[in-house]
Amino acid sequence: MSQAEYRGRTPSLLAIATACVFLALCLSALGQANPASFSDTVANANAAREVNDIPHAIDLYQQALKLNSQWADGWWFIGSLEYGAGDYAKAEEALSRYLELNQNAAPALAIRGLCEFETGEYPKSLKDIQQALALGAANQSKNEKILRYHEAMLETRLGRFEDALRSYGFFAHDEGNPELMVAVGLAGLRTPLLPRELKDDQKELFGSAGKAAFDFMRGDKDGAHGEFEKMFARTPPVANAHFLYGFLLYGTEPGEAATEFKRELEENPKNAAAEVMLAWIPLLDNDGSDALPYAKKAVEVDPSLPSAQLVLGRALTESGDARDGVEHLQKTAQMQPDNLEAHIALAKAYSKLGQKDDARRERMLCLEMTKNDTAPATHP
Amino acid sequence: MIRRQLHILSSLAVFVIVLAGIKSSTSAPRPKTETACVSCHRERAETQPETPMGRASALPGSNPVLEQNPRLTVTKGPYTYTVETRGNESTYSVSDSARTITVPIHWNFGSGAQTWVLEHDGKRYESAVSYYPSIRGLDFTTGDEDLKPQNLDEAIGREILMPETKVCFGCHTSHSLTNGELTLGSMRPGVTCEHCHAGTMEHVSDAASGDFSSTPPDLRKLTSEDISNFCGQCHRSWETVVRNHWRGRLTVRFQPYRLANSKCFDGADPRISCIACHDPHVNIVRDDATYDSKCLACHSGARANAASILAGDHAPTCKVAKSGCVNCHMPKVKLPNGLMTFTDHEIRIVKAGEPFPD
Repeated sequence: MSQAEYRGRTPSLLAIATACVFLALCLSALGQANPASFSDTVANANAAREVNDIPHAIDLYQQALKLNSQWADGWWFIGSLEYGAGDYAKAEEALSRYLELNQNAAPALAIRGLCEFETGEYPKSLKDIQQALALGAANQSKNEKILRYHEAMLETRLGRFEDALRSYGFFAHDEGNPELMVAVGLAGLRTPLLPRELKDDQKELFGSAGKAAFDFMRGDKDGAHGEFEKMFARTPPVANAHFLYGFLLYGTEPGEAATEFKRELEENPKNAAAEVMLAWIPLLDNDGSDALPYAKKAVEVDPSLPSAQLVLGRALTESGDARDGVEHLQKTAQMQPDNLEAHIALAKAYSKLGQKDDARRERMLCLEMTKNDTAPATHP
Repeated sequence: MIRRQLHILSSLAVFVIVLAGIKSSTSAPRPKTETACVSCHRERAETQPETPMGRASALPGSNPVLEQNPRLTVTKGPYTYTVETRGNESTYSVSDSARTITVPIHWNFGSGAQTWVLEHDGKRYESAVSYYPSIRGLDFTTGDEDLKPQNLDEAIGREILMPETKVCFGCHTSHSLTNGELTLGSMRPGVTCEHCHAGTMEHVSDAASGDFSSTPPDLRKLTSEDISNFCGQCHRSWETVVRNHWRGRLTVRFQPYRLANSKCFDGADPRISCIACHDPHVNIVRDDATYDSKCLACHSGARANAASILAGDHAPTCKVAKSGCVNCHMPKVKLPNGLMTFTDHEIRIVKAGEPFPD
């Protein structure tokens, strides 16, 4: 090889060598740049969030998550920011990713539940909100009110009206407001709608029913009676008005409650819920035989009503026919797998039949269902 | 507090169930039935009043606990409690540095440990402190340790509203509920015959004329499941505990609940019912060995045959011992306050160091 030739090749070799060194440096730099980039991106995202530059913050958090998708806080920030910005579908998606990494995070469950409420995924929303409550999401009064209110609205929307009325009992110590009255009225008059789904001209009726029920819950029984009398005087008759009054009276004055349920049936003979309540009264006296006619009628009128199947199952079991009772109780549990009363009744029915393994399974299921919402056994 | 109110709302039905059961046996207050019962059922009618159930409550002047302890006192935080008995009258006082509230004790609940139901300014209270034989003195009433009274009136105890008052009197006394209403005028202390045997008075009247058609139902014929619920009206049934979401070591007091959680509980097998082991007409038997025969009624292996073994429905026999079963399988559990000990009726193989099964 001549010098000239050498020289002629030298630039080329130098260039290659330089290129190699440059490439090596670049690769090295790139290797060191990832963590720096991640932490910088997170820092920038946090800074954007702190100055309320939400779109920029979300964008930066997303960039950070591309670098490390296991960074739980990133999903939480995106979820909570998207929720605040009103993009509930994106918030729900991000919070789901966060919950994959932190399964029992009560605040994330709560916000995801509220997102699902907005996107119309009502069963999922109720499940998340109830789980969040059980895990202690209601640690502040304001949070608790928001979650309990949504829980009650969702129960109404899903046709769990009795549960909804119990849930609204939480607000009995509050002043109340027109929207709450409408919401309580919807549950009371057994109308599976949200307040926002009502037309303006429908709100007065539900607001009046809600006020009557709310007065009763607050202990103003005379005021409630007056409000209910006004409801009863309306024409055409208000469906479920007598039922609602009866339901409220039921805990303390079962005789008067029965009268109201019978009045409801006079106006609306196909009211399966009223038949159910008339069955409950003797059932609570351990009298399955007296409950049986009402329970049978309830199932005849509306076999899809879980509470109808439940009272028939219980009435049959209490009156000595546990085998047929089990059939209806199983239907209840199929329709509402989380219905504690159905599983309690199934445990009892199986036990009476000597099916001790089935009874034990149901008992253990009940204990599992109630394990996150326990109360101390206080009095002696 | 709110959580508790919600529980009260949601468990209203439970109260009604409890009251309904009690109501069925106490709807007709006709005292002095026991005298008539003795004439035919002498053995049981004479021993039952001396049982813990028969002495579940006491009226002023007939309370051995307070007669033997004429002055009891304890200081808890800023409050001093004193229970004094002079003659037939007992008083419950609570004092702070400034003043004292004293109320008469009309109702003594419990035969060993004792809690008092008190009245003050138109309200009823469960006394904040109770008497415990284990310390021969006063301490916080079980379950009320966390109460934080804000003033002397609240320091008297935990206010009890009418539904709970009915439950208290419905279980600790007889003839105190008429058609679901509290009728203390007709109340008799303790659990009397008619408390459990509904229709006793009619039976007494009819039997006198040779008519035995109205004989009260024989409770021995109830299934184990039904007996458990019957006794559970006061001792807390499995359903009651689950509906109220009660958990924790305090549930060891609720024997029907604990028993029903046992793997061996079979609602159709009379060998595991409450009355298979306990005769409510005689004093509770404290000798653990007495219960061996009850356990061996299932776990002796004598009843197992090839078919039952193949079907897997025979009760296994113990590899460790043939006696003293309850010593191991039904451990004694102290309440969190350490003042009372109960036999855990959740029958099981207890493993060393395992937490209280909850």
